[in-house]
Amino acid sequence: MRHLKTMVAAAALSALGGAAIAETLYTPNLSYRTGPFAATGIPLMNGQRDYMLMLNARDGGIGGIPVDFEECETGYSTEKGVECYEKTKGRAIVTQPWSTGITLQVLPKTNVDEIPILASGYGFSPMADGKVFQWAFNMPGGYFDAASMILTELGGGDQASLSGKKIAFLHLDHPFGKEPLPYLDSKAELHGFELLPIPVGLKEMQNQSAQWLQIRREKPDFVVMWGWGAMNAGAITEAVKTRYPMDQFVGVWWAGHSDDLQLVGEEGKGYRSISFSMPDNDSAVMADIRKHVVDAGKSLASEEELNEVFYQRGVIMSVILAEGITNAQAEFDTAQINATQLRWGLENINLTEARLAELGVAGMVPPFSTSCADHTGHAGGWMLEWDGTQFVRASDLLKPDLAAIQPLIAESAAAYAETNAPWPVNEECNAPS
Amino acid sequence: MLYRTAGQFKTSYKADQALFPVRQDAFLLGIILILAWVVFPLTASEFTFQTLLIPILIYSLAALGLNILTGYAGQLSLGTAAFMGVGAYACYKMITIMPWLDPVLAILLSGFFSAGVGVMFGIPSLRIKGFYLAIATLAAQFFLVWLFEKWAWLYNYNASGAIQVPQLESLGVIVTGPNATSITQYYVVLGVVTLITLICINLTRGTLGRTWKATRDMDIAAELIGINLMRSKLTAFAVSSFIVGVAGALFVFMWRGAAEPNLFDIPLSFRILFIAIIGGLGSILGNYLGAILIVGLPVVLNTLPAALGLEIKSATVEHLNIMIVGGLIIFFLIIEPHGLARLWGLIREKLIIWPFPH
Repeated sequence: MRHLKTMVAAAALSALGGAAIAETLYTPNLSYRTGPFAATGIPLMNGQRDYMLMLNARDGGIGGIPVDFEECETGYSTEKGVECYEKTKGRAIVTQPWSTGITLQVLPKTNVDEIPILASGYGFSPMADGKVFQWAFNMPGGYFDAASMILTELGGGDQASLSGKKIAFLHLDHPFGKEPLPYLDSKAELHGFELLPIPVGLKEMQNQSAQWLQIRREKPDFVVMWGWGAMNAGAITEAVKTRYPMDQFVGVWWAGHSDDLQLVGEEGKGYRSISFSMPDNDSAVMADIRKHVVDAGKSLASEEELNEVFYQRGVIMSVILAEGITNAQAEFDTAQINATQLRWGLENINLTEARLAELGVAGMVPPFSTSCADHTGHAGGWMLEWDGTQFVRASDLLKPDLAAIQPLIAESAAAYAETNAPWPVNEECNAPS
Repeated sequence: MLYRTAGQFKTSYKADQALFPVRQDAFLLGIILILAWVVFPLTASEFTFQTLLIPILIYSLAALGLNILTGYAGQLSLGTAAFMGVGAYACYKMITIMPWLDPVLAILLSGFFSAGVGVMFGIPSLRIKGFYLAIATLAAQFFLVWLFEKWAWLYNYNASGAIQVPQLESLGVIVTGPNATSITQYYVVLGVVTLITLICINLTRGTLGRTWKATRDMDIAAELIGINLMRSKLTAFAVSSFIVGVAGALFVFMWRGAAEPNLFDIPLSFRILFIAIIGGLGSILGNYLGAILIVGLPVVLNTLPAALGLEIKSATVEHLNIMIVGGLIIFFLIIEPHGLARLWGLIREKLIIWPFPH
């Protein structure tokens, strides 16, 4: 009985203690370490978490106050995601929704709740338009950027040379997979190549024999893949089985997970994936993470995971968030920033080469800056190529074709604002740069 | 003692046919209604509204719809989610084509569309039974979700293939969209759910309900005593799909705010079937108990470690959650295979004779 009393007292005390720590930056992450997409989620979330833990251990947090990087498990379910959002929104200064479905769900609520959404490299492409989506950010790049860089690279630097070619677009039949279609459609018409969309249903992710049969019959010049989770491994093994030339097969940045390629090893050689991040095991940031987090036994990642593209991409995502926080702290001269101040911080990110080097991530992400009107930064990226054992860089820095992307973004953003009227639009911003 | 029925005499037919002839039952229902209509809305936080109260009510309603078909009329269905989808998409199309339509009215009207589709897929039930019928409704499930994906007109040619709920007003109050307050949405959902539940209680004890039960228990015998099986089965499909469709429209318009086709895929059908089975087939109360167990309990369990100040990783909590809820489902089904409603029925019977059991 006495035992029980002590336990109750301890629980009560710790609950009180939790409430008493006022000075933290609460940046919840709607993670998924369970469910069908866990295999791809875990390395990313470990990277995000470890960078924040490293900041806490090395600098005592950001601006002197620790980051409370709490995870809320969603299992990639939209329903759970909304539950997590509701649970965390009281104290949160940012939401990291981690799925296009959850992003779409939470997006309309952010104008009311006034909490910024940070969806690095995912979510709804028109979120780049900061005038319409005042609270949403998807830097360093959206899906239109990715599609544009892939087409440029496939055309050997000039998209016009794709004329007369046939490109199969293998995508998840889900809002995420359909995101780049407006851009690809417009380009197919402009440059005169044939676009062949091949959807993969959520239930067919692991068995894509029908889709690859179609690819074998159609003999496209290139296959562009918009896949996630189990779909990538399925597609890559099918491609190997049907002997589709790997050097004509390119994936979006979420389809560049080392584990998926490890399955086929040498036979996957030549597969490329666009990426806005570049793993660098010798970087200063990785050394610090090893020293403060991994060696201290606080990391959840395995040794080989630390070298992976996805883990280090997670690190980059946290770097971007931390930079936004630092900006806001400097501007408003307070360590304990709120959600509105963080929005300013995220709108004024200026990650130059020098700043990236200072943060220890030189060369791991292209330099970029955001503004009130531009919530993406359009950083560009690199093509990564699987060399049989790991991903290596296979191109110079690629830049998205902004001239074609901007009108599409403006158009879709306006359409979104119209269907969701009354939708507040920030007229103070200048036109997208 | 508390539930003693001795001394409650029924002196007229009217008293004998009352919805709740036992005084304590009516009293209990009164307490539940006061809780739902007054106490919860006054005390609930935004989180409670959005993750417990509203979803439990909507899931209960969907399970109630399924229960009419499976529990009362004995027609097994695996297509519940697809019929919810029909309701949701019908509501979406109605309010985009006719923006002046009152959203609450639109939600109720959308039930007619799902009722129509439900009757269409119910036609095979005239010839096939049991598991074979389940397969036919499974076809509805696959076909309709496929249709939601491929028929772009349904989602107004939206690039992402998802439907987004616009902001709508009913009688001057914003009821949908991000600017609607949770309490308004809760009252709309509660109003619809209360109304439909009341109708269902009456329906299931009236002629129609008795016809359904006769069909369920033995259809040949039912036919021999003069029940028109076609009418009985198809009305069950129509009423059930109507309720399910309304639940689907509420699901998207009053709670989720956006939906993609695969939301209405088979996992949702199974979830609702589990609620109906664990709650108790052939009961109205069971749907609510089932929804509390399957929808509400995991949410509560998720918040427990934080409330107790225990440091457990979020993914571990999720794993524990799945194990606890799974264990409870098995436990309840072992102690009472007929579901939670029957369990309550047994407890009630014991209470009536307590403390002097014979």
